[in-house]
Amino acid sequence: MNPIRSRTTRAIAVAFVAGSLALTGCSEGSKDKKDDKTVGQENAKEQQEALTFATAEESTGPAEPVKGAQQGGTLTVYSQDDVSHLDPGQIYVSDAGLLSTILHRGLTANRVNNDGTKQVAGDLATDTGLTEDGGKTWKYTLKDGITDEDGDPITSKDVRHTFERQFAPFITDGPSYIQQWLAGSGTDYRKALPDGPFKGKHLPDTILETPDDKTVIFHLQSAQPDFPQALAMAGYAIVPEKKDTKEKYDKAPKALGPYKIGEYKPGKSLTLVKNDKWDPATDSVRRQMVDKFYIEFNHDPGDIDKHIMSDRGVDQAAIAFTGGIDTSNVPTVTKDKAMMARTIQGYQPYVWQLNMNMDRIKDKKVRDAITYAIPNGELVRIDGGSYGGEIAGGLLAPTLPGFEAKYDPFNKLKKPTGDIEKAKQLLKEAGKVGMELKYAYANTPIRQEQAVVIENALTEAGFKVSKQEKDQATWYEQMGKIKNGLDLYMTGWGQDWASPGTVIPPSYDGTQIQDGASNYSHINDPKVNSEIKRISAITDPAKASDEWNKLHHYIVEQVNPAVPLYFTKQFMIQGSKVGGAEYNSFTSYYDWNKLYVKK
Amino acid sequence: MLQFLLRRTIGALVILLLISAVTFVIFFQLPGDPAYLSCGKNCGPAQIDLIHRNLGLDESIPVQYWEFMKGIFVGRTFEIGQCDAPCLGVSFHSREMVWDTIVDRFPTTLSLTVGGFVVFLVVGLGTGMIAAWKKGTLIDKGFSSLSLVLSSFQIYFLGPIVMGLVVWNHGWLDAPKYFPITDGVGKWFLGLLIPWLVMSTIFTAQYTRLMRSTMIEQLQEEHVRTARAKGMSRVYVFFRYATRGAMIPIVTILGMDLSGLLGGAIVTELTFSLAGIGRLAVESVTNIDLPLTMGVMLVGATFILLLNVVVDAAYAYIDPRVRLG
Amino acid sequence: MTTLTKTEGVPAQSDGGDPFLSVRDLRVHFSTEDGLVKAVDGLSFDLEKGRTLGIVGESGSGKSVTNLSILGLHNPEFANITGQITLDGQELIGAREKTLERLRGNKMAMIFQDPLTALSPFYTVGRQIAEPYMKHTGASKKEARARAIEMLDKVGIPQPKTRVDDYPHQFSGGMRQRAMIAMALVCNPELIIADEPTTALDVTVQAQILDLLKDLQQEFGSAIIFITHDLGVIADMADDIMVMYGGRAVERGTRNEVLHAPRHPYSWGLLSSMPRLTSDVNEKLSPIPGTPPSLLNPPTGCPFHPRCGFTDEVPDGRCASERPELEPGRAAACHLTADQKQTFFIEQIKPRLV
Repeated sequence: MNPIRSRTTRAIAVAFVAGSLALTGCSEGSKDKKDDKTVGQENAKEQQEALTFATAEESTGPAEPVKGAQQGGTLTVYSQDDVSHLDPGQIYVSDAGLLSTILHRGLTANRVNNDGTKQVAGDLATDTGLTEDGGKTWKYTLKDGITDEDGDPITSKDVRHTFERQFAPFITDGPSYIQQWLAGSGTDYRKALPDGPFKGKHLPDTILETPDDKTVIFHLQSAQPDFPQALAMAGYAIVPEKKDTKEKYDKAPKALGPYKIGEYKPGKSLTLVKNDKWDPATDSVRRQMVDKFYIEFNHDPGDIDKHIMSDRGVDQAAIAFTGGIDTSNVPTVTKDKAMMARTIQGYQPYVWQLNMNMDRIKDKKVRDAITYAIPNGELVRIDGGSYGGEIAGGLLAPTLPGFEAKYDPFNKLKKPTGDIEKAKQLLKEAGKVGMELKYAYANTPIRQEQAVVIENALTEAGFKVSKQEKDQATWYEQMGKIKNGLDLYMTGWGQDWASPGTVIPPSYDGTQIQDGASNYSHINDPKVNSEIKRISAITDPAKASDEWNKLHHYIVEQVNPAVPLYFTKQFMIQGSKVGGAEYNSFTSYYDWNKLYVKK
Repeated sequence: MLQFLLRRTIGALVILLLISAVTFVIFFQLPGDPAYLSCGKNCGPAQIDLIHRNLGLDESIPVQYWEFMKGIFVGRTFEIGQCDAPCLGVSFHSREMVWDTIVDRFPTTLSLTVGGFVVFLVVGLGTGMIAAWKKGTLIDKGFSSLSLVLSSFQIYFLGPIVMGLVVWNHGWLDAPKYFPITDGVGKWFLGLLIPWLVMSTIFTAQYTRLMRSTMIEQLQEEHVRTARAKGMSRVYVFFRYATRGAMIPIVTILGMDLSGLLGGAIVTELTFSLAGIGRLAVESVTNIDLPLTMGVMLVGATFILLLNVVVDAAYAYIDPRVRLG
Repeated sequence: MTTLTKTEGVPAQSDGGDPFLSVRDLRVHFSTEDGLVKAVDGLSFDLEKGRTLGIVGESGSGKSVTNLSILGLHNPEFANITGQITLDGQELIGAREKTLERLRGNKMAMIFQDPLTALSPFYTVGRQIAEPYMKHTGASKKEARARAIEMLDKVGIPQPKTRVDDYPHQFSGGMRQRAMIAMALVCNPELIIADEPTTALDVTVQAQILDLLKDLQQEFGSAIIFITHDLGVIADMADDIMVMYGGRAVERGTRNEVLHAPRHPYSWGLLSSMPRLTSDVNEKLSPIPGTPPSLLNPPTGCPFHPRCGFTDEVPDGRCASERPELEPGRAAACHLTADQKQTFFIEQIKPRLV
């Protein structure tokens, strides 16, 4: 999921914002903190376990039942903002991604089993896909008895349509992995079908083949072992051909999942009701327990907490949509055992880093000096403390396979207050004492507070820092400009699925430097570039993972384009009558397919 | 009268035209390109160009302005459907017709402002009158010092306190929520009661003080004394003569406070999680949503201009000296 | 109020029976932050029906305060009023508000100085005239309106049937004063208090208004208290004259007595300071030197003594130590002997008045 250019990100940021207060004034909390950290590490351990591909048998419905589950009831959901999109083709952001887990279905789907293991399973397809050439060609067979909410059967034509409409000009928000794999990198793929399928043209069989109603064959330009995981993205859920209303589909999509849209009042509320055309026998991922999800927008984070903390009336069966507990309320919640029992926690896939613009800071010793100087512990404290995040030693999140908890080349974990002496020494060696750094930060309370800490540390290390405050709403747009004229700025990035292949290429590929792209440090290292190309072609996931981690080490230690700052964590609270509340690391929110209302 | 209306209408149209042009120009001067907000992870210049085309941002600014303004009178056609006049375009962000969105949110803001208005007018003027009637007594002193204290109770300060007390801690009332009045007057009333009281507190306090001092001033007017000399009772003179005279400065201040009231509605909507025009205005700016910003600005300005006409009419009603022709 | 203060003399009793209006030892004191203001300090006078009493004096001499006391329009919270005011046998001081309300605008009415501010800008002239009529006679709206038109006609407003619906701002100054008079007279009051009713008007209009008042008085036989600082107007209107200074009456007498043989140096001053048509333009007026006395801290003895040119004529400095009394009847409150008063006026003052 994309944490970057969305209101939801802002909501997340805001959720952690007021956090400066959290846990700092709480001196006796050290013991609690430790406990919490252990829990966090366990979470991490669990979350970093490589996911497996479910077999055809495991992909058959119904899903394993949730313990103690009860039927019926309405679940009230509070959200700050309306859902960004409902058209699967436009879904990349985590809020819409969360909804799509009960609304939409794709060829494959992610699932967390009752024992905590994570799998990609065949969803509309019988399995996660067959490939006989190491991942270049993928074949899928549709399950029987799958219909949309109107009861119309889903065929391979609908699958073809789903992928072809991704080429239409109005689809701009969604992921583009598969389009690129099918028809060309960057935005070149659009040339293959400039109008999408809407003017009678289609992708040739050499790209996308549908030999019969049940079979779909993807012919990729290169081997992509992660193809089943990409297919599980919300953006690739099926849009039935006959029901496609193009731009209008975003407000009234047809559901294939257990819930459909009952009533949608844009900007105000969204009610999801049971889709009686959904057949549990076809679905190994989803369940249909509550009668209704009533999602109400326009609730600020603090307000959502108050509703759920008060635990009265409908709020007893209420959850937050995507908002974590506001940092101002964290102390109240953590001190109250009963309330703590109503919370979930887990790692989000996001890593905050301090980008060093390599067009401007060319000397690695200077970059290392900056890296040593930054007091990560302080930055975490400001952004919500141990419930909001955890110091990062490297640039890959705990949610990725092969995560090394002890990886700490710059002593970030050992010295959370920073290593000023080392920084001073490096800066002296580089002969750049007094070097001026243009440091930009967003105009939110957290970033402003963090800016002071960073400025002080760098000044102490011997830099001359000039701070520039920038508008939060357009932060990534401003940082994304190649000629941004800045030296240092914080950005966050998250994986699209549990593979460093969705993190390293977009962030560190030097061939991808352009306005708006996400290589914010402008790292353009020949070895990194060639390694990205090489590892992307490795078809064995375990081997690829190893190689990515080696490249990660090289990037961090030999190039050092960005200071690793911290991983973010999710901390949410639900009403006392919410059952099956569980953190789902795919969505980084509640697992909506497990929620039920206690009577 | 007709001439007056005509003059006012033309004036209002000129003002609206100016506001729209200024808003439009300012929007393009601000940093931030809305295309980046729907650019996905695969963002690049080509993608941005595509989104600019989708949003109609590829045209020159004057052409875009012309299209927008034309749409208000003759409507426009978008991919998501026909947008009938008065068409305020389609929101960049929600891809909804701006007019429909505003029509949907307006009742909330209207209920909020009108309700708050009634509260502070009735309570504020009422206590002000009582204080003036009982000038110098304990009641007067009590009201006066209370209003002095309350006049610094900002919405964002008082709101959470009242919510904490009335809603979260004791559950005396449900959290504020807007129900259409057609759902039942009681539901509508209870849903907005807290916001009304909170948003009108400062106004109530200010108008208590204003009303008290104006009434005391009015009671010393010679024509009020004349009325007493005619044998009219103190109560009669208080209400018929002094109050009437006091309404003139009150209406003047009211005219100036109208936009403040609308501003209060914005803060109130944010404080109590209500979906009205105010919240829409804030969202439109954070989302760099030109059509929505324009729509909210124009509707808000029209609303204020209309209210100003009402204020002028109230003037004419209260004071025959300004009555026209 | 101190016990040392002697009360003014009682006016000469008219032949037989109680006077229509009788004011005895009226004191109106206001408590202010600076101290006690003795706006009226022991005033007595009588007024018969059909007669006009002119009250003259500078601003702050207590003229208006006296008349507001008769109507009972002072706020009892701030004004301390003692003494007696009897109207047609009814005691007004201390009377209940309801009682006073029934009398105001009905048995006693007041014509105020500035009709622009004294009429409400918010209601039509007709309504303002009709209001007290409805209240006091219980007339219907229609009857009251007819009465208002009748009254407007009587005070000389042209086209009263249409003007009745006009607002005061649509009237000229003179018409407004006429409307004011119509309003005061709508219930045929037996006592009319006219507080400088012509000051704001130009001379020709002033004459018309005065004629109107006289005509109306003749028609209804009302008693009039006419307050002014304009001796010319007094000469035209009043039967009796009372000269007030510093919250007290200093001279009392008939019109002729006071105007042609005044006995108080303050009255001489007033007469000398009045311009005359016959006088030489080059001749200087002789204004009274000094300023009106402070009511907070009045001078000892005769309140006029700091401004009086004749204190040396009184032995033992009595002017500064002893307050002169106003004897009953035709009198002046001054320590000069009767001969002195006559001699000084004839020798020193009169020549300048010609």
